[in-house]
Amino acid sequence: MERLERAAVLLSLVEKLKDGDSWCGETHVQKSTYFLQDLWGVPLDLDFILYKYGPFSFDLGDEISWMRANDVLKLQPQRRPYGPKIVPAENAELLKRTYPKQMERYADEVQKVADEFAFMGVATLERYATAHYVSRNYEEVGEGGVAAKIVELKPHISHVQAEEAVAFVAQLRSTLKGA
Amino acid sequence: MARKRTHEIRDPIHVFIRLDSDERKVLDSPPFQRLRHIHQLALTYLVYPGATHKRFEHSLGVMELASRIYDVVTEPENIYQESESVRNMIPKHREFEHLKWRRTLRLAALCHDLGHLPFSHASEALLPQDWDHERMTMEIILGEEMAGIWKEIDVQPEHVAKLAIGPQKSKDYMSSDLDEWESILSEIITGDVFGADRMDYLLRDSYNAGVAYGKFDHHRLIDTMRILPKQGTDDSQETDISEEPHLGVEEGGLESAEALLLARYFMFSQIYFHPVRLIYDEHLSDFLKSWLEGGMFPTDCRGHLKHTDNEVISAMLSIAKDQSHPAHLHADRIIHRRHFRSIYRSTAEDRKLSGFKSGRKIYEAACGIFGEENVKHIERTQTRRINDFPVLVQRARITGALSEKETFSGVPLASCGHVFISSEMRDRAGNWLRKNRETILSSVEGG
Repeated sequence: MERLERAAVLLSLVEKLKDGDSWCGETHVQKSTYFLQDLWGVPLDLDFILYKYGPFSFDLGDEISWMRANDVLKLQPQRRPYGPKIVPAENAELLKRTYPKQMERYADEVQKVADEFAFMGVATLERYATAHYVSRNYEEVGEGGVAAKIVELKPHISHVQAEEAVAFVAQLRSTLKGA
Repeated sequence: MARKRTHEIRDPIHVFIRLDSDERKVLDSPPFQRLRHIHQLALTYLVYPGATHKRFEHSLGVMELASRIYDVVTEPENIYQESESVRNMIPKHREFEHLKWRRTLRLAALCHDLGHLPFSHASEALLPQDWDHERMTMEIILGEEMAGIWKEIDVQPEHVAKLAIGPQKSKDYMSSDLDEWESILSEIITGDVFGADRMDYLLRDSYNAGVAYGKFDHHRLIDTMRILPKQGTDDSQETDISEEPHLGVEEGGLESAEALLLARYFMFSQIYFHPVRLIYDEHLSDFLKSWLEGGMFPTDCRGHLKHTDNEVISAMLSIAKDQSHPAHLHADRIIHRRHFRSIYRSTAEDRKLSGFKSGRKIYEAACGIFGEENVKHIERTQTRRINDFPVLVQRARITGALSEKETFSGVPLASCGHVFISSEMRDRAGNWLRKNRETILSSVEGG
């Protein structure tokens, strides 16, 4: 996907997350984008690795940098102790006008991701995204070994939390398969 | 007389850099010595004559800073005791694991740039697809050139390679995710906010270029660095917080961290995105494409290690005198300073008018008039992720940097876009652009 088209899809995701009352910090955008690409199949061409708070894309970080540098997105400071929200900026409307078809094409997927994840907090998103990542990238551990692998890679997540996360993403995948 | 075990190297930034005899073996190895002949800032010295420093001294500087950071964040009295995940992660001070990782970190820092091509980043595009300098670094660390040394000093090269190339490339090239401790160690070297690589290049590039923009109080910053869980930020639901440890600072280091962020913005605006430096990179790349066999650098370690800036400069000097050589024109542009000139610099207003495509539109229109071979278009944006690192307030409470200081979200990102024209056509192109600029920028194309 070309840069400006991808920026248009990411902008629509930020808007939908905000509509769904998401805090819309960096972690929310990172994990929601991961699900949008990996579970809902929107071809954003972003590489995700297991890093801070689970799957993380340096490419997406660069993309957000570009969108900030071009006044498509901005950081909106919040009162202490909360971090800033990522919100549309002055040129967001211009991007939307330039790429209406691209935004429309993936509108359903973006809406579903927002419906599913907008209300979640950082730690929950981290666990769910990590559970999906580990089950996709560590097939050798088998279905029953995913929770233990999560705890091995991210020791601050408890085994109970890991199991709950594995169950959540398994349910989500099966719902999407059936849809 | 006993043989000396600790060796000192004088350095203009860190005064003394010390290393032991085992580390010295890495320093004396041919892949590391090669870095004496790779300019840190490519052809920037043609704009800032002092910027002739090399990857060699930078790599030593990164090793020095990385170990200073490691010593501070693993010092028992600096460990944040309230967090179980932090306590459990850091190896016991001065015990085997602690010393093992310290050594691995230092060696990874020392080796992190081994894979750079001649003139550093300027040549990166001349590697085949799926190759970059990080992959070359990994190949050298894991290759036969270094194998004997790792065995002799009893270090695991896979660990060195992982930390040296960072989490993203480690996943790409070693099919390996970093665990939480490895992520922290890698962040000490390559991290976006506090990485030793970043700190050293800002200080060193600034010093050598003769500008003051890159300076910040790195002593204070390092002294206040801590490993902390990130809490209470980025979320409206205070109960749903992640305990994952990150590199952060005590509140006393916030001003130094701010200064680093500003230093980076200024260095990008003034040095790294200087238009003449950018166009020299393009001319160099054109020269190399024409001069190298097959237009590409080799990816085997032996072939890679044979190439340094010296051979390239020597060839350029010679070819600049030889009008029959296919690379003559490119060599001539560099050696005789007949580089392309910027005729257009994109502005925020232009980007609006053109739907973010101002540079591209001017470039395409200019190609139609002056010929593609006489026009170049370069756009760059500074990459700076959001990085809400944790801050320890009054040694008791953790907040996030972005909520403590608006500067962290308010510093702009440096970006630039230029259209360059062959120096011989500068006046004609300038006149043409003055007449047609508005029409070109407001032209409509499919979206």
